[in-house]
Amino acid sequence: MFLQTMMLRPSQKTLVVIFCLHVSFHCHSVFADGLTYEQHIRPIFRAHCFDCHGATEDLEGELDLRQVRLMKRGGVSGPVIELKEPGSSLLLTRIQDGEMPPGEVKVSAEEIEVIRQWIQQGAPTARPEAADIGMGLGVTPEERAHWAYQPIQQNLVIPDTVMSLDKSRFRNSIDLLVQWRIQETGRGKILDQADRPTLIKRAYFDLLGLPPAPEQITEWVNDSREDWYEHLLTALLSTPAYGERWGRHWLDVAGYADSEGYTNKDVERPWAWKYRDWVIRSLNDDKPFDEFITEQLAGDELAGPLEGDLSEKQIELLTATGYLRMAADGTGSGANDDAARNQVMTDTLKIVGTSLFGLSVQCAQCHDHRYDPIPQSDYYALRAVFEPALDWKAWKTPSARRVSLYTAEDRSRAAEIEAQAKKVADQKAATLAEYMKQALDTELAKYEEPLRTELRVAYQTSAKDRTPQQHQKLKAHPSVNITPGNLYQYIPDSKPKLATFDEEIKKIRATKPAEQFIRALVEPANHVPETRLFHRGDSAQPRQAVGPGSLTVLSADGKRPEFSMDDTSLPSTGRRLAFARWLTSQDNPLLAKVIANRIWMHHFGQGLVATPADFGKLGTQPGDARLLDWLAKEFVDGGWSLKRLHHLIMSSAVYRQRVGLEDSVFHERRLRRLEAETIRDRMLAASGSLDQTLYGPPLKIKEDDTGQVIVEGEQFRRSLYIQTRRSRPVGMLQTFDAPVMETNCEVRPSSTVATQSLVLLNGKFILDQAGKLADRVSREPAKPTEAQLGLTVELENRKPMWQYGYGWYDQSVKPTTTFQRLQHWTGSQWQAGNELPDSELGYTLLRATGGHPGSGRNAVIRRWTSPATGFVTIEGLLSHPSENGDGVRGRIVSGTGGILRGEWVVHHSSTPTLVERFAVSAGETIDFITDCREGTNTDSYDWKTTIVLARQGGDEQTIVSEKCFRGPMQSATHLTGQVIRAWELAYGRQPADDELVLAAEFLKQQMELLESSADHLKEGRSVVEQAMRTLCHSLFASNEFLYVE
Amino acid sequence: MNGSRREFLQQQAMGVGSLALAWLLQQENASAKLKKISAQSEVFDLKPKAPHHPPKAKAMISLFQHGGPSHMDLTDPKPELSRFDGTDYKEDIAYSFVNEASKKLMGTRWKFAKHGECGTEFSELLPHTASIADDICLIRSMHTGANGHEVSIRYFHGGIPGVLGRAHFASWLLYGLGSETENLPAYMVLTDPGGHPVDGINNWSSGFMPALYQGTVVRPKEPRILNLQPPAHLQGRPQQQGLDFLQTLNRRHAKRFPGENDLEARIASYELAARMQTSAHEALDVSKETRATHEMYGLNDEETREYGTRCLIARRLVERGVRFVQLFLAGQPWDNHSNLGKTLPSACRKTDKPAAALVKDLKQRGMLDEVLVHWGGEIGRLPVTQNQGAPEKHGRDHNGQGFSIWLAGGGIKPGMVHGATDDFGHRAIENIVTPNDYQATLMHLFGLQWDKLVFNHAGREEVITAGRNAKVVTGILS
Repeated sequence: MFLQTMMLRPSQKTLVVIFCLHVSFHCHSVFADGLTYEQHIRPIFRAHCFDCHGATEDLEGELDLRQVRLMKRGGVSGPVIELKEPGSSLLLTRIQDGEMPPGEVKVSAEEIEVIRQWIQQGAPTARPEAADIGMGLGVTPEERAHWAYQPIQQNLVIPDTVMSLDKSRFRNSIDLLVQWRIQETGRGKILDQADRPTLIKRAYFDLLGLPPAPEQITEWVNDSREDWYEHLLTALLSTPAYGERWGRHWLDVAGYADSEGYTNKDVERPWAWKYRDWVIRSLNDDKPFDEFITEQLAGDELAGPLEGDLSEKQIELLTATGYLRMAADGTGSGANDDAARNQVMTDTLKIVGTSLFGLSVQCAQCHDHRYDPIPQSDYYALRAVFEPALDWKAWKTPSARRVSLYTAEDRSRAAEIEAQAKKVADQKAATLAEYMKQALDTELAKYEEPLRTELRVAYQTSAKDRTPQQHQKLKAHPSVNITPGNLYQYIPDSKPKLATFDEEIKKIRATKPAEQFIRALVEPANHVPETRLFHRGDSAQPRQAVGPGSLTVLSADGKRPEFSMDDTSLPSTGRRLAFARWLTSQDNPLLAKVIANRIWMHHFGQGLVATPADFGKLGTQPGDARLLDWLAKEFVDGGWSLKRLHHLIMSSAVYRQRVGLEDSVFHERRLRRLEAETIRDRMLAASGSLDQTLYGPPLKIKEDDTGQVIVEGEQFRRSLYIQTRRSRPVGMLQTFDAPVMETNCEVRPSSTVATQSLVLLNGKFILDQAGKLADRVSREPAKPTEAQLGLTVELENRKPMWQYGYGWYDQSVKPTTTFQRLQHWTGSQWQAGNELPDSELGYTLLRATGGHPGSGRNAVIRRWTSPATGFVTIEGLLSHPSENGDGVRGRIVSGTGGILRGEWVVHHSSTPTLVERFAVSAGETIDFITDCREGTNTDSYDWKTTIVLARQGGDEQTIVSEKCFRGPMQSATHLTGQVIRAWELAYGRQPADDELVLAAEFLKQQMELLESSADHLKEGRSVVEQAMRTLCHSLFASNEFLYVE
Repeated sequence: MNGSRREFLQQQAMGVGSLALAWLLQQENASAKLKKISAQSEVFDLKPKAPHHPPKAKAMISLFQHGGPSHMDLTDPKPELSRFDGTDYKEDIAYSFVNEASKKLMGTRWKFAKHGECGTEFSELLPHTASIADDICLIRSMHTGANGHEVSIRYFHGGIPGVLGRAHFASWLLYGLGSETENLPAYMVLTDPGGHPVDGINNWSSGFMPALYQGTVVRPKEPRILNLQPPAHLQGRPQQQGLDFLQTLNRRHAKRFPGENDLEARIASYELAARMQTSAHEALDVSKETRATHEMYGLNDEETREYGTRCLIARRLVERGVRFVQLFLAGQPWDNHSNLGKTLPSACRKTDKPAAALVKDLKQRGMLDEVLVHWGGEIGRLPVTQNQGAPEKHGRDHNGQGFSIWLAGGGIKPGMVHGATDDFGHRAIENIVTPNDYQATLMHLFGLQWDKLVFNHAGREEVITAGRNAKVVTGILS
């Protein structure tokens, strides 16, 4: 699989490389010579003229432009080419005058010039023209020469110039081929290998769409085996998340959706998820891709007779056909008309065409393809493959197509249960009849004969048989009109009694085995409808019948590959099976290339052909056609194993390169923004919320109060399980370019827009997940090294801005303040213990607006620590409302040196507590100390204070004590460990020193802000918690999180 | 041209008046040969770009009238049609609703009169539009050739009838000229509270161009822009600190990948998002407008309040440097297949006064010279009856052969009528204007040559008109 296979026959130099022969329409150069009809003129006619002059039997003006000899013969206006007087050729003048083509699309000036010169050169053809060309445009050798239609090159010989290079830089054949291309183009080079953590992350995201856990990174980084990387790939490829990741890629092109679309109702499509799960399972099983395709196209034809219980295998095969049921289908939701039915077929063919042919086959529905050699009849030949199963004239709505998974046993069990339910229902009916009779008798008893009997007879006569007199009688005596609905008014007890029967019935029915379905396409037996070509794609204008077949251009003999109308060995026509067999055979040059290109695209961000669904003329040229061929061949030779192909590509030195920006070349590794789903999944993984349950019904969605579609409730499974409603795309995913399934998604863009930034800054999901990450890191902080702690000393030693305690200010020669924190928070106040009074400290307590000092030297102290150097001014009002006792004393003391800034005594009075501007330094404390004076009773006081801090060279901040008053701060210890853990979980690495410093600085800044402004702290959250949330939020919103190398 | 000088100018442009910038860049351009502006590499941004020639228009407001306003009842008087009312039309007609089709000509039931000094005739259904007759250029010869709504809408927006996935006209403007505001999205879409227009979000898609050039939807109710604000407790400094920290991390990260434009673009987009938080709120708030302005746009009247508010917001947005604003209507109120007598006046009552007010307001503020206003739908209506039973239920079917739109400001000649339909209003016959001509002409007013503004897409060189025939309609330029 590697180098050995490539180094074939170095002596053989007969390498044939088919390069593209196509001429761009936008070619502005003037052709000196060598114009031919087939190569230069026909593409112009194809785009502009053939609809009326060649493609169909109805030739406008009897003019046929398919051959030069026919042009010379001309139509009703005579020959259109005048070799003697080229300038007056009708062909040229009608176009130049803008008369032709009619309508608004005109031939460009450059194209007219090409036509003019060609006529001038004598209107040459590439080869003698056939005398009889039959109908239609056919496919010319020039058209067939387009690179995509060529057979896969089987033998490649690497030139000596590559082989002679130092091969230690190469890891497998991909590298040799790329090096060859580099030599030819002189562009780019293979860069050094990325470092190990980068490779590990790259492989995880590529293969699983999930980040490696920090422990996994460590494990792989420390793996000492020389072939650790091979082991990594093998391990990842056998993880179930692989199927989810690559299943999502396939579901994009298959057009997976959980709703029917087409009509505005966009009703739910309840069982599509079984197909999604089938895709995931198949990829995890590494089902050979040819089988994978065949089962999706013709699972029902492979399943054998569907009699009796379905076997596991049959269920699997039928589920696979869900692929052909992915197109929007409004026929079960209000649009069961010809247009809607045909639209299902149209969309299905578009899905088939773009996913399996890599061609815009759908463009040939109304007329021959304007650019690619796909005649309209080819389109209808393809349609004929699917017609027996999707017959618009014998249509089945989605619910009629679903296949029940009920077994015979389920069915008989269900019937048994229904019989039980019926018994109860009968009892109910009998009871009801009894009540009705009773009510009627009671009611009629109120009347005398003969009226009584007359009313009874009238009542018991069914409404339509009543005589006018009977009607009249009943009308005149309304109370006789007893119905089951108003029975309760006559016999109130009847209602609850009857309800018990309903309850019982419901209970019995609930024991039935749950009936599950699969969304499948099952072709009815012996149904062989005719397919007709629709003139201009209009089903109301059917023309000639067309048999099942594939694209003419893909066959080597120039004849359309055709399939049997009806394979008699099968109950169905066998058309899809035959088509699938052809599609996956050597006869078809396209499928392996198209799939190999998609795989490359998902590994490198861009396909070798950048237009994965258009390998035709309007698509892009492959960056390296040889490499694409080689990959396709390896893919097929390797038994169509996707996992083998991943392994091959990911083992190359090209894949393992570091990110480069030197050149814009196909083999460069670029930084890639994660897809929408991966962004969400990565956040869930980092926050620890990710639920990795596999398979099952989709997660429900809902609209929030702003109308944004979100996932309902706390459902944290991977994003591919979120319900995909076509009309209700989940806001966050759509913002990051997840497809809104109109038909299917051929390739996702990767945009960068302000709405993404708004989602990342303000969206509820990211805020919630950042909160969970913050919770997680506080539960499981990392263990910082001494060196790391050395960088965050200030953070670690940081004191909360406000502390609540008790102690004493000793105003001696060397003033000191003792301070001990109050230990108990009641929810509204700080006190010494659970009980009040406390056995030791009595009524010592602090409230938002004041407090109560303890006795003796147990003053209460509110301690403020200045976050910055600057000046403070303090205002306040100290009050002691009670007449009793002797009041309290308030003192303001600053600094470790204990400078008394003010002292006030209040008793049944209030006093302002102003302290004029004085200097503070960062970390300096200011204590608000209140003591009881002599008397220890009735010492409740209020002391509201406002500190105005003017930072050195900065803004002024006003801090209001009561607004900052709150309960226990989460311990600020381990903050460094939390930061490190946040880095590990979000980025899969430790923070660099400068990042740690930045983070510490940021946390300090946030905490300080939150401590000094109550408006910014969410109820019930601590300052530390909230600061850490914002830090985690920033990590989630950052580029390192959104991009992978 | 000196690259660094140009870059310098572009950077300055954010601060300097845009006219000065345009002038400076023109000076540099004058010596250079007219050349294609095309993406040299995959760098896409919204920095101001030099136009091909001096522009007349700087911004545009498009009042899109979905459904196909009935021109013979509004803007294109047809006495012959009235004369032959009830008789059979002789010519061929393409119908959309064949089951209800008839050939019975149906004259208008509303009176037309001349207005303004120019004397342009309008029907009594549009009294306010009639009052700006001297400020607008009425084009009576629009032609899409197709009757379908989506087909013609996509023609107007994307350049090819019916084709999806193309870039909107506004995306081309942004691609060619960049943005003049760094606080607001350069291309904004004001949707109707009743819901999205026909063809939904395709109406503001940037198609094959990067999403950078796609329209930003302003919702018709609060929150007008989704996710614009964080929860209350994070607003202000806490978020600002978080954003500063985030951007520090981003810049540190970007240093490792010099030249990776996507990273730079995302850093810039965070900055835009942050600025939008304040500026969008301010721009969308019409409460500070004077009472007279409220009155003028019909904000005090139930019937006009909603559309008037959006017209007023549109003015506020272009005033703040937004390049292109488009107003849409829910569904298609002008699609009067039935009940013409009721449904048409109702659509007029909702839009006539606010639309006229917008032009008057721009004019009184001296902005009309640089701001183009467009009013019009994607098609018009047929001169014959669409039979819906009783006569009062009659309506008109689609008509892409001939219909009216009007333009004002931004270098458009005021007070004139351009083109004409036939005697019955069925086909445009004189000075026919297609959506491609419309695009070419508007681009010309913005200083761009439509066939020289090229976008490389999947190996093809795309232009707005997709290589289809187009012309600048010189007759309507001032």
